[in-house]
Amino acid sequence: MAAADIPSAALRHHDLCSRGIRLARKMRSDVTDLLDIYVERQGLDASISVAAVDGVPAAAAERWAEQSGTQRLLDNLAAYRAFRTLLAQMLEEQREQLGDADAELGPALAAVLLQVSAFAYHLEELLELESRGAPAEEGSEPPAPPRLSLFEQKLRGLGVLRELAQWAVRSVRDLRQLAKHGPGTTLEGSGTALGLPESQ
Amino acid sequence: PQNLKCVTHNLRKMVCTWDISSKRRHGQTEFCYTIDDVIPKCFKTKEKKVEIPVPGSSTTVKITTYSISGTAFATRHFEIHKKDISFVPLAPRILSLTPDFSTSTLTLKWSDNGSAFPYGLDASWEIEILRKETMEDVTRESYNSKLTHEDIIHSWNWKSDMPLECTSHYARIRHYINITQFDGHKDWSDWSPVEVVPGKDTEPSGSGLFPQDTVVAVGSNVTFCCVHEEGRQVQRMSYGAKDYPLIRLSSRSSAIRVLNASASDASGTNIVCRMSENGMDGTVLFVGYGPDTPEDLSCETSNFVIIKCTWKPGRASGLYGVRGTKYSLIESISGKNVSCEVNEMKKERVCGFPVLADQKTYSFVLGVSNPIGQTEASLLVDLNQRVNPETPEKLTVSENSSTSVRLRWFINGSFAEIRLLCQIEISSAHSEQKLHNVSMPGGKFSTYTAQLNALHPYTKYRFRVRCSAADHFWRWSDWSGTEEHTTLEA
Repeated sequence: MAAADIPSAALRHHDLCSRGIRLARKMRSDVTDLLDIYVERQGLDASISVAAVDGVPAAAAERWAEQSGTQRLLDNLAAYRAFRTLLAQMLEEQREQLGDADAELGPALAAVLLQVSAFAYHLEELLELESRGAPAEEGSEPPAPPRLSLFEQKLRGLGVLRELAQWAVRSVRDLRQLAKHGPGTTLEGSGTALGLPESQ
Repeated sequence: PQNLKCVTHNLRKMVCTWDISSKRRHGQTEFCYTIDDVIPKCFKTKEKKVEIPVPGSSTTVKITTYSISGTAFATRHFEIHKKDISFVPLAPRILSLTPDFSTSTLTLKWSDNGSAFPYGLDASWEIEILRKETMEDVTRESYNSKLTHEDIIHSWNWKSDMPLECTSHYARIRHYINITQFDGHKDWSDWSPVEVVPGKDTEPSGSGLFPQDTVVAVGSNVTFCCVHEEGRQVQRMSYGAKDYPLIRLSSRSSAIRVLNASASDASGTNIVCRMSENGMDGTVLFVGYGPDTPEDLSCETSNFVIIKCTWKPGRASGLYGVRGTKYSLIESISGKNVSCEVNEMKKERVCGFPVLADQKTYSFVLGVSNPIGQTEASLLVDLNQRVNPETPEKLTVSENSSTSVRLRWFINGSFAEIRLLCQIEISSAHSEQKLHNVSMPGGKFSTYTAQLNALHPYTKYRFRVRCSAADHFWRWSDWSGTEEHTTLEA
């Protein structure tokens, strides 16, 4: 990489990080709104507890502080690719279950799905900059959703959205770390885990 | 010997039983009987029961009891008349008790053993349904039939008021045969052995909340049950936002009963069962209406390519998505069937059906169904009498002279089978608006022309046109766009 390029790579890296942070914040607020709509439209009790949902990556991370920039990006990318599949499944389920009666939940879900897809693409760009390249997506066909009862489907959807809200918070922090240290750097630090407040 | 009683199960043989009053130990008993004054028959028995033929009119009986050493110590004579004999049919045997979990229905099948009896006897049956670990009586229902001297298998359905998964259901049956020509006492048979449909609460890993994701009509009463592992307790069960009193079905199953359910939201009403050790299970109930019979079903064609049927749906079902109301249009002359894409949220209901070659009359049945019910409306249509042509397009005006013009327009459709009546509206600043009617043979996706005479020279006119079927007027098309034209100077 020529001398003139290094500053522009750093500039580009910083720009991508800050744009990513703005995207993640917007996603966080939209997911929070979506959660309210979801709980209300699905007739759920907002305080209902949902066990960990299979296939949904957990936002809380052990030894968060020690992660390298690349590892952060890889974890984020894996998560948002998973959320992209999960949200698409949820959207399909809503259409099937609510059909024409859904003028609110479906569009809100679709909007968040778009943001998740955009954020995943954004992460891929950051990984390109890390001269690492984004890992290929595993296989073309996403795994078929498990056969669940409607109530289980509703809870699963709630679990997905809650975890996505957590990830949006984590992504902001991850990207801040990245922005601080520039492209391609590894980090040492004390072993603190990223505990995320249990968001309702 | 005393208390001699004789019971017949089949009018041919009877079983006689007696008691021995003395406390003394005794050996065998000799039983002698004479039927209808024929020669007596005797035999020895250790039992206090014998089976002998049913007499035509009467039987005399002599019972002698012997001591262990064989000496007779008591003898008694009895006279048994037909009226002294009791007729008690044998207990019936259930052939099968089959559950349909999707409809919570039990189907009971049994044989009436009619071949054992003369033709034409009236038989009454009582079927008892029991439930729970404690086999509580749920209902006892009657069923009548006629014996036909053949063994007929009867089938009887019972719809439970709770899902069959909730707890074990049992059934048993007994019957009474009304033999009018039998003088003796007649009684109900014993109950059949019980048949059981085990509940999920008897399966080692059985658990869940039932019914699962079901649809019921508004006003229904619904029982939900929460089946769980041994040792767990149900703490509370809620329907929507409200907790309901628990009904214990067994150590592993508790229920709630929701009365007069009201319409649910599009996503259904959640029923949640909260158990000890953070256990939770749930199901969803959809409460809506069966479809109303469509009103004002009307079908017409605007182009002889597609027949467009419209109707008024009536009350909304309150069910959406996969549970939404489905419409299909069946044409019984051709046998063709079309399913209709309908948006439940929109008031307008439209369905298209292809115009069929060489078919003028159409006998439509609009089938409407959703998980709660179905209905239909029908309509017989002579298509030539239901033509509402497409809006005339590409209206052009060309001049012939200072007092006449020629109008040309195109209509998208195939009207070769009918005559068209078109109406031309003529407006100008100086004279009153006039309507000029002209009829012409219909064409196939073609252009039509009409000549207008007696116009004023050098005058600005506005023309527009609409058309309908000439022979059987049904509806005018919409007006075409307006075309302005100034006639030539004289």
